[in-house]
Amino acid sequence: MGNVSTKVSIEHLTYKYPFAENVSLEDITLSIDAGQSIGIIGRNGAGKSTLCYVLSGLIPRFFHGKITGKVTIDGEDVPTMPIERLIRKVGLVLQNPFSQISGAKMTVYEEVAFGLENLGIEKDEMHERIDTVLRQFDLYKKKDENPFELSGGQLQRLAIASVLVLKPEILILDEPTSQLDPRGTTEVFETISQLKTLGITILIVEHKFEKLVEYVDKIALLHEGKLLGYDTAEHIFSTSEIETYGVGQPIYTALCKRMGLKKANGYYPVSFGETAALMNGLKESGMDRRTYDG
Amino acid sequence: MVDAIIKVDGLWFAYKEDEYVLQNIDIQFDDKPTAIVGQNGAGKTTFVKVLKGLLKPSKGDVWIAGTNTKETTVAQLSKTIGLVFQNPSDQMFKSKVIDEVMFGPLNIWKDKKDKNFAYEQSVKALKIVELDNRLEEHPYDLTLSERKLLCLASIIAMDPKIIILDEPTIAQDRFSTRKLAEIIKELIKDGKVVLTITHDMDFVAENFERTVIFYQGQVLDDGPTGKVLSNEENVVTAHLELPNLVKLAKALDFKTTPLTIDDFIEGFSMYKKAEG
Amino acid sequence: MRVLSLYVENDTFIHKLEPIAKLLYALISIVITFLFPSITVGAVFVAFSLLLAISAKVFKRMLLLLNVVLIVLLSMVIIQGLFYRQNVTPAFKLWGLTFYKEGLLYSLLLIVRVVNMIISFGVLILTTRPSDLVDNLVQKGLSPRFGYVLASVLQIIPQMLSTTSTITDAQRSRGLETEGNLFQRFSAFFALLGPLVLNSLVEARERAMAIEIRGFGVEGKRTFVRQILETKTDRWIKISLYVAFIVAVVWRIILWAM
Repeated sequence: MGNVSTKVSIEHLTYKYPFAENVSLEDITLSIDAGQSIGIIGRNGAGKSTLCYVLSGLIPRFFHGKITGKVTIDGEDVPTMPIERLIRKVGLVLQNPFSQISGAKMTVYEEVAFGLENLGIEKDEMHERIDTVLRQFDLYKKKDENPFELSGGQLQRLAIASVLVLKPEILILDEPTSQLDPRGTTEVFETISQLKTLGITILIVEHKFEKLVEYVDKIALLHEGKLLGYDTAEHIFSTSEIETYGVGQPIYTALCKRMGLKKANGYYPVSFGETAALMNGLKESGMDRRTYDG
Repeated sequence: MVDAIIKVDGLWFAYKEDEYVLQNIDIQFDDKPTAIVGQNGAGKTTFVKVLKGLLKPSKGDVWIAGTNTKETTVAQLSKTIGLVFQNPSDQMFKSKVIDEVMFGPLNIWKDKKDKNFAYEQSVKALKIVELDNRLEEHPYDLTLSERKLLCLASIIAMDPKIIILDEPTIAQDRFSTRKLAEIIKELIKDGKVVLTITHDMDFVAENFERTVIFYQGQVLDDGPTGKVLSNEENVVTAHLELPNLVKLAKALDFKTTPLTIDDFIEGFSMYKKAEG
Repeated sequence: MRVLSLYVENDTFIHKLEPIAKLLYALISIVITFLFPSITVGAVFVAFSLLLAISAKVFKRMLLLLNVVLIVLLSMVIIQGLFYRQNVTPAFKLWGLTFYKEGLLYSLLLIVRVVNMIISFGVLILTTRPSDLVDNLVQKGLSPRFGYVLASVLQIIPQMLSTTSTITDAQRSRGLETEGNLFQRFSAFFALLGPLVLNSLVEARERAMAIEIRGFGVEGKRTFVRQILETKTDRWIKISLYVAFIVAVVWRIILWAM
């Protein structure tokens, strides 16, 4: 692990929105290695979106307020980094696909071009990059359509494509599937797994834990602005406190807790695959029912 | 058999001429809590708008508690059927929680000029969603989950027999979803007929006796939730997903379709016996 | 209709002209017809604009546009024919009402001006992608922020209309009567306007965030995925238009002076 570089480092980050009574983030410290994917979980209002805004530079550029502590990407200070540099490092995708397309472009193709135009990318490179992302996200056939004609899943993929075309090294997704139907959700998660293979560092806020755990290396648990846990999914969800925060857990973990089924390493399973394997193993080993009658 | 409170006969509906978003739907609803599922664009929201009388059938008829929706007004129907819209910001405009909730009751009981009655109804409704201690707050100071509950309360306050919820679980955390499930149970206990459009299949499995799958403007499947969800073929056709527990049960070759963790544990012990 | 645009896709000579050249034609032809109180000048421009419309294959659409203002034009004829201040010479009588020659001629002048305005702008709107016109203007130095506002308004207004219909449904579901006496309608107006305004504000803020992180606020050189090129033809058209404009102004000043 020695040669893995720290991509994002947050030290004692505290932030309060202007006019807010309480801080939204309190003394957060965590670091993310390059190429890792991190899930951010917590209840509505726990500070998940606020953390996304800090990392993408919207705080303090768009939202003012009081920020203390240190946030760096590749060692560079995020709050003071010039925006055109930051944009090339971090991309952010928001919850509502409708309100994050520019609305000024008449085709999918031009929508993807929007950010490149702003950054003054040369035309040849622009076309090349757009063609690549549109193919990557299976939107090439839609390139001449009006963005507003797309389905929710397609629109969210367009939003991701429009950000990725700027080649950020880190992609932050703030509840990217919450407005989507199961098909749209699957489309977005498939896109995310594709991004992982490209080595992009990913942060994703998500309530669909059963899906989330399939894609992330670690989970950050936020509660009332504080970071209560930052560890692998099995560590985070195996604790008994997880329920008291009202965050919830994957239904598989809840099931296994009820049945008293732990993995060999002493943690509860979190994903479909782990649970199925464990239960199948139980069948084969011919263990008696005591284990889950508990 | 219980009389159907909602009766839909040969319903066709088109926004534009000859482009039917709903095609030949015959369905009845009694007091069983029912989930309406289907991918976006399958016609679910259009369907509930037709039930609510906001849209009139292009062909066919809809009877709500014996009244044909063609022969009455939406305002009249409000006393029987309430529809909670997906997005709270599509309806909120008052500066206090209590005023927002009283908007509906004041509209439908205006002959009585009984503001007290509307107030009492509204407080009662806010109590059900546990917002009764926040009457004077500004609706926009509430969190999104609370705003959704506020909108639900603003329908409950009109005391309709039927309550339809459009995507109540969207953008909700687990805690809020669970709270919503409890509220729905309470409404059912109070004798309400609850219909919900949702994409959250775990939510469907746990809370609704009956499930209707919409696909391309038609009813693809309809029946007890366990039965509908055991037919994986339909679920896949409709571009939906099985609930997580059902998926797991399938992978383990269960004979049953477990809808809750209790179901699953029971099913697992049976399956163990069968294996043993 | 998802976009507020009357653009008809085609591949004619007129479609391929630089949007600014077409805009310039519309503006200058309108100014000239208003500069000269002459039916002939107006008629010449109407004829020329029509020619453009026909060669751009948008004649039928143009008739539809004109149809919209038909009633206004007719009422002009009636009002001016009957009540124009300088009416002295009776032209004809209809249902006992006397129409005067001066008024009718004046209304004719107004009509050619309005019709030219509609046709010349119609040619621009029917043959130009709205975003191309905006890109073209931004490339010529219009502020990108203002350009963004122009372009997004065209798309976002139709979105707002669909939001309005959802809001109407949501409020009707709560017993709101959108018909009835004036007081009812007035209070209904607030129940609809309130959510619409709040909704639009929230959405505008989210959109502002989203475009910010796609570099909209970055100062410096911009590029354009659709570079709108100025051909030789475009340049000559524009030069001729400027010349025509200057000649017209000078001529008009001389006419005054005499």
